[in-house]
Amino acid sequence: MTDLPPPPQATGRLLDAQLHLLDRSVVDRNDVPVTTVDALEITDIELDAPIPRGAPAPVITALLSGPVLATRIFGGRPPRSRLERIRWSDVTDIGIVLKLSVDGDSLAVTWVERWMRDKIIARIPGGHHDPE
Amino acid sequence: MKNLSGFALGILTAIGAFVDIGDLVTNAVVGSRFGLGLTWALALGVAGILLFAQMSGRVAAVSGRTIFEIVRERLGPRAGLANLVGSTFINVMSLTAQVGGIALALQLASSVDYLLWVPVAAFGLWIVVWRTKFSVLENVTGLLGLTLIVFAVAVFLLGPDWGSLARQAALPAVPSGEQPATYWYYAIALFGASMTPYEVFFYSSGAIEEKWTVKDLTRSRINVLIGFPLGGLLSLSIAAGAAIVLMPQSIQVTSLSQVVLPVAAAGGKVALAFVIVGIIAAIFGAALETTLSSGYTIAQFFGWSWGKFRRPANAARFHVTMILCLIIGIAVLLTRADPVLITEYSVVFAAVALPLTYLPILIVANDRQYMGEHVNGKATNALGVGYLVIIMVAAVAAIPLMIITGAGA
Repeated sequence: MTDLPPPPQATGRLLDAQLHLLDRSVVDRNDVPVTTVDALEITDIELDAPIPRGAPAPVITALLSGPVLATRIFGGRPPRSRLERIRWSDVTDIGIVLKLSVDGDSLAVTWVERWMRDKIIARIPGGHHDPE
Repeated sequence: MKNLSGFALGILTAIGAFVDIGDLVTNAVVGSRFGLGLTWALALGVAGILLFAQMSGRVAAVSGRTIFEIVRERLGPRAGLANLVGSTFINVMSLTAQVGGIALALQLASSVDYLLWVPVAAFGLWIVVWRTKFSVLENVTGLLGLTLIVFAVAVFLLGPDWGSLARQAALPAVPSGEQPATYWYYAIALFGASMTPYEVFFYSSGAIEEKWTVKDLTRSRINVLIGFPLGGLLSLSIAAGAAIVLMPQSIQVTSLSQVVLPVAAAGGKVALAFVIVGIIAAIFGAALETTLSSGYTIAQFFGWSWGKFRRPANAARFHVTMILCLIIGIAVLLTRADPVLITEYSVVFAAVALPLTYLPILIVANDRQYMGEHVNGKATNALGVGYLVIIMVAAVAAIPLMIITGAGA
């Protein structure tokens, strides 16, 4: 890792994670809302250890959603296995909303939506029809 | 035709939301106790809702974002959640009051106990929310709600002493036998009834449902400018009727039948029939708006898929939320809790919750990332900040006044 060249100077837009990413809406490639950014996952930084000079900056790896919201409000952290992720590489656009390059239905984070659709809404007559 | 339906959104929000069970009851109570002495509070409320509904419509049309997405993004998860809990409490309380109001109006028409009508009314609401297009529901309830004009007609038929009414409105005073605290309590109730937060949730999300763009802003302005004052005039005529008929006989308004008494006294059975149709339509419209608003706020906070323009299957959590809210409303009403009393409390609690809705709109309406060149002008901001001060004072004073006056007793 140490013989990698230093990261190039940032030339693009400067984003403030708190201001431009957290709590923004996320829509899929068809502009259907998927979730809100409840938290971010970044590459590991060792806690309580001094950061060596020239170490690469941590990178965002995923948007998080689901139970992590409760811990953000009330404190604590869910176990890593319970995190619901949207891969950062699926994000195509960052504006007032974050756009994804995939279908919302293909993401693990939408399981509650799909469960309610299949178990409740789809079983009520008219659930699959356009409003008239 | 498209213009006409956009115009109907304004009328519906004016009559279906402006004149809802909260306005009917509060205006009749105020009219019967204070005459037109609180007209200023009504006028203040109408101007306020005009300002903020227009602002929220503009934010939604320009940025494509609605109130609760903005609340979440600007206030963060903690304050945002507190706001969501408060707003949902008010929404469900208003919804409960509206469902109770429909049931009471159906009881007036049929003499069948209102408790039996509660599940029927709630089921009717759900069917409409489930199956009917946004534009249809707004047009039908909007047009039928127009029959409420009979309240205004009744005032003319009663042939009142116009001079005395004008004096009451122009020179507000606390009538003898009433405490100043009670007067101010009802001023806040009337203000809260006119500015109920769900109207703004509905207006802002409705702009997305109707796919408004910047081009539609002028139309939105016309909607609001015509629709809301019209609703305000209807509210005023309810208070005027109560002031003419009920106040001299010191009849206290504790039920819906007393609210419509002035109309019946002026126009007999025909007028009564009109007013019952109008009340059912207007409250039904308002109940639809509160049901949808409950779904809108929660879905938008969590970033779920929402909207009437989608099939229910494509907004599953949104529809499940609305079903749950309706069930809560039914459950509360079936405890035999008095819908008129729930209404009276709901408008005061709405006043308490006003800053939660109005502060975020004002902030985002000034944000260039969202609004670009359509940010608030100086005059709008001055008005907005002025209103925020009034709203804060009303919100802070509401609960102490409620305790001091024993909820206006």
